[in-house]
Amino acid sequence: MEFAFTPEQEALRVEVQQFIAENVTPEIVAELEDTGIRRRGPKTREMYKEIAERGWIGISWPKEYGGQAGSRIDQYIVEEEFARAGITVGGAGSGAPAILAAGTEEQKQEFLPGIIRGEISFALGFTEPQAGADLAGLQCRAVRDGDEYVINGQKMYTTAAHYATHIYLMARTDPDAPRHRGISIFLIPMDTPGITVRPLWTIQNDPPAPLGTTYGDNRTNETFFENVRVPASCLLGEENQGWYVGAMGLNLDRVGASRYLISIQRDEDIVNWVKDNDIEGYAMREDPALRDRLADMWIEGQVCRLMTMRSMSIVETDGNFTYEGSAEKVFAPEHGVRTTETIAQMLGPYGQLLNGSEDAIESGVFAHNLMGAFQSGINHGSVQVMRDQVARRGLGMPRV
Amino acid sequence: MPADPVCPVCKTVINEDSARATTGQTMYGANEVDPNAGTRSFFNGEWYYFCTLQCRTRFLTAPNTFIES
Ligand SMILES: Cc1cc2nc3c(=O)[nH]c(=O)nc-3n(C[C@H](O)[C@H](O)[C@H](O)COP(=O)(O)OP(=O)(O)OC[C@H]3O[C@@H](n4cnc5c(N)ncnc54)[C@H](O)[C@@H]3O)c2cc1C
Ligand SMILES: [Zn+2]
Repeated sequence: MEFAFTPEQEALRVEVQQFIAENVTPEIVAELEDTGIRRRGPKTREMYKEIAERGWIGISWPKEYGGQAGSRIDQYIVEEEFARAGITVGGAGSGAPAILAAGTEEQKQEFLPGIIRGEISFALGFTEPQAGADLAGLQCRAVRDGDEYVINGQKMYTTAAHYATHIYLMARTDPDAPRHRGISIFLIPMDTPGITVRPLWTIQNDPPAPLGTTYGDNRTNETFFENVRVPASCLLGEENQGWYVGAMGLNLDRVGASRYLISIQRDEDIVNWVKDNDIEGYAMREDPALRDRLADMWIEGQVCRLMTMRSMSIVETDGNFTYEGSAEKVFAPEHGVRTTETIAQMLGPYGQLLNGSEDAIESGVFAHNLMGAFQSGINHGSVQVMRDQVARRGLGMPRV
Repeated sequence: MPADPVCPVCKTVINEDSARATTGQTMYGANEVDPNAGTRSFFNGEWYYFCTLQCRTRFLTAPNTFIES
């Protein structure tokens, strides 16, 4: 067990920090803050190309698909530094882990280099109006018709559907099979005829959250599929095995820097702020009670970090990754709720002013984080569902 | 011309054309619709139209209560 980064890894971190200082211009920040385009703005896309050229995206992926066959920890360091600047590189939801594990050779060639270059991104089409926590109850239908599938149904909370190139869709291919065994996954271009997107506005809708907010997206979507015809080659993994492919992909997608940073960036931000700022002449950094609360928060943040490190080392060594990601997905979001509540108590009414208010602290990021914290307990697998997975896979209890 | 659909829960008439009208496109070419023109759901092989998400949720919890035979 090794808890320190190597000198080479520390050097990589400095290199990434330098790149960010030199390349993340105000124009790029403006594009990233525009929730309509996010990572798809023209300047941002140029920057992603440069990041890719340095070999910093998909470091741990095989070389034949544009990766470096390198270490996951290196990848983690790159992701961590970019995430601190509010920039996601190859993080959760990229779809890549599932494609690497279950994709055909053609699919790997088609998608992985494009994901690395920032040209391909997936929206996650799992949840439906009546299938969220109970995802196996999903109704969206895909019917085989010769070399094609015809898809009808709808998805709820497809978060990136308005700026993704593709959707990673879970649909029912065998309605007569037991619930978990009649589901398949499809990788579908968003411009396929018959796909319609209806905006849903989130808790962050107005005013828009500043960059650096955890879960700052003001928009998610409903996505309708009406006689959508796709070639059978869109199927990821075998037909009717989609439940297992999807669960494995979700689990792997939870591992890594973005999960950890989601947990602790708020802690870092408030500690830095308290060190440098007073509220109406009051120096919170000298108040023993508030220092206690910050220390508690920090200790919990380090637990999140260790959980992430453990998950990554299991994945890195091809170990058996069962309940660990789920445990992390309980502790970290709930840490986020506790943290943002603590911060709200500390900052008082000024801390509640949102982006755009003249007196808002740090453009309202702490207030927006408070709202975003509640999203992380639900999205990407709710904490209740995650607890159930810990009970089953970690504690060996039966499925109920 | 078939009549405009009715929200099966509160019986409001939904303007199907508005509910389906394309208001724009996403960045990568999917059609977008007006979020204020109602929503829909594919159920038992048919599209049902609803005035709001609340009505749809009520419907999907107990569809048979609302489907007229
Ligand atoms: C901001 C946001 C973004 C999202 N983005 C995406 C996305 O991109 N793609 C996607 O597919 N989905 C996405 N989701 C959907 C998310 O995964 C679901 O909301 C989640 O799985 C819960 O499902 P549900 O909303 O249907 O709630 P329900 O299933 O109705 O559950 C409601 C609450 O009850 C709890 N609950 C349900 N059953 C049990 C039980 N048996 N025991 C204990 N507690 C239970 C749940 O944990 C939840 O807290 C997003 C959600 C949010 C809020
Ligand atoms: Zn209604």
